Amino acid sequence: MTFFTVVARGLIRRPVRTGLTVLGISVGIAAVVALVGISRGFSKSWETGMKARGTDVVISNMGSSLIPKPFSASVIDRIAHLPHVAATCGILVDLISVENAQMIMVSAREWGGFSWNNLKLISGRMPHDATEPAVLLGRTAANVLNKKVGDKIQIETGELSVIGIVDGNAWVENGSIILALPLFQEITGNLGKINIVDLRVNPSTSAKDVQRLCEQINSLVPEGRAVVAGEHITDSEAYRMAQAMSWGTSLLAVLVGVLGVMNTMLMTVFERTQEICILLALGWKRGRIIRMVLWESAMLGLLGGVAGVLIGSVGVRILGRTPSIRGLLEPDLSTGLLAVSVAIAVAVGVVSGLYPAWRSSRLVPSRALQS
Amino acid sequence: MSENIGAEKTEEHAEKSKSERGFSDPTSNHLSGPATTLDTKTGPSLPYLFEAVGIAKKFEDGQVHALRGVNLRVMAGEFIAVTGPSGCGKTTLLQMLGALDRPTKGTLLYRGNSIPDLRDPWRYRALEIGFIFQAFHLLPTFTALENVQIPMFENHLSAAERKDRAVGLLKSVGLKNRLDHFPAKLSGGERQRVAIARSLANSPSVLLADEPTGNLDSENAHLILELIARLHHEQNMTLVLVTHDIGIAQRASRIIQMKDGRIVTDSESIIVRK
Ligand SMILES: Nc1ncnc2c1ncn2[C@@H]1O[C@H](COP(=O)(O)OP(=O)(O)O)[C@@H](O)[C@H]1O
Ligand SMILES: [Mg+2]
Repeated sequence: MTFFTVVARGLIRRPVRTGLTVLGISVGIAAVVALVGISRGFSKSWETGMKARGTDVVISNMGSSLIPKPFSASVIDRIAHLPHVAATCGILVDLISVENAQMIMVSAREWGGFSWNNLKLISGRMPHDATEPAVLLGRTAANVLNKKVGDKIQIETGELSVIGIVDGNAWVENGSIILALPLFQEITGNLGKINIVDLRVNPSTSAKDVQRLCEQINSLVPEGRAVVAGEHITDSEAYRMAQAMSWGTSLLAVLVGVLGVMNTMLMTVFERTQEICILLALGWKRGRIIRMVLWESAMLGLLGGVAGVLIGSVGVRILGRTPSIRGLLEPDLSTGLLAVSVAIAVAVGVVSGLYPAWRSSRLVPSRALQS
Repeated sequence: MSENIGAEKTEEHAEKSKSERGFSDPTSNHLSGPATTLDTKTGPSLPYLFEAVGIAKKFEDGQVHALRGVNLRVMAGEFIAVTGPSGCGKTTLLQMLGALDRPTKGTLLYRGNSIPDLRDPWRYRALEIGFIFQAFHLLPTFTALENVQIPMFENHLSAAERKDRAVGLLKSVGLKNRLDHFPAKLSGGERQRVAIARSLANSPSVLLADEPTGNLDSENAHLILELIARLHHEQNMTLVLVTHDIGIAQRASRIIQMKDGRIVTDSESIIVRK
């Protein structure tokens, strides 16, 4: 028998209570994994999408909505001549409901812009010109919409043909409907409007020059903000709010976990007052009693953390497969996030055990042993 | 129940750890805090294992005066029976001797060291004292074998050594076939034998037994008493035994009668049987 036998015996003596406590923590940790994983996944998806389109700088007005506000396409004329600018591409994106998909990304691109270049055809062909009433579907989008080349697709008031299925090398790209800009402008009544300008700089441009370019653009284009591609999404107020909400909710869940474990450990200590007094009477150091209680509560945290990470990952995967979310974002379930979540759970356990441990170490051994 | 209780291994182990404990040298303050306040003019307290001068115990909750000035000197190797009506303070006295609680007044020394001022009371409880309770006080979620190992955590023994030692102790109290039984599956007599084995875990110098047969039928009471008496004379342990049973008390080398928190009679030399 080792010290850990004693710790384990403390946990299994009340299996139901231990199980419920572990479940309580695991729900909290699952919430952390799901919420943070989704919000991080969202930003990661955007970033990789940006990279896939070959963008260095993004000009948009993220405001407080998930989709940037439209502005006049003439903005491009104001910035195209700036130093270091290699190419620009006006884009109009929207999240709309298309046929059976509740929410799907539609990405309308300036015909001939570089954003078309990274799309690899899986089947079908590219449009002939900007006026052909046709769309490309990202591979996931095709899957979600259940379309193949040659099918018709109803986007708002317009009926278009699916002429190609593409791989865009990123989650967002694959989940999108891609078409020529004028078509979508007409369908949505946004004539002459775009809401994103993708901008590519000359290959030799330094990071400092890119920064300076952004500043220049910002003074020339009050309608939007120029941001280096990787920072694009985190610049969005909506994203920040989602991030804050997911951490806030997680914190709440963790707090509930702390209270749950503390309650359990206090019950354990009270109910085992006599046994703790016996341990003291037999010569156990107070430090050992404290360690016993802390290890027990840390183990509750660890078990809850592992269970929570499992529940959270599975839950997020299932959520990611539902039609309304599929193709919109790829949850970030990096080992980093999972490890942090388990660490949080263990910390919850240890912190919750501090007070009960202190209580238990204050017991006078004679108290419970009057016989 | 057979042979020598606690085997030679126990003896040898006791030898070693005793010197480590630093109780044998009363001039060393290794274990005590600031020097104890016993009047030094009365001479060194060396010959006595325990020396209590005017110890009183008052419990905070209520006006209970459990002890009202107890004076007691105990030599190493004595077998003392403590008797007296219920509520007279016998358990409280034993708890003071075992450092389970501290007196409110008076001086209490163990080998010249003040017990309430011990820097490491756990070390004293673990290594010097073996406690046997009327209610056994075994831990219900541990087997007999595990219960006996509980006090050994504060000793420098490996897990394997702890187990071996516990097996040896349980064999010596005749529970070779009950090693993996939980307390609930043991009879009262068997439980008390496990508790006795546990009290011997670290080869203590002193056994404090608080009505150890109080919860047992007469046959088991007899067996337990034999066991404890044998421990006393085979291992030369100091034994302080609280009992209501005058028959048991008469086997002691000395009988102390208590009343109302005081010692009323102390027969220093009744040796009925050797
Ligand atoms: N923890 C305690 N708090 C208050 N009173 C106590 C406590 N322990 C014992 N007492 C009281 O102290 C007196 C002596 O108790 P005790 O030493 O257990 O007597 P005995 O063992 O001789 O029956 C009793 O009146 C008892 O009620
Ligand atoms: Mg009593």
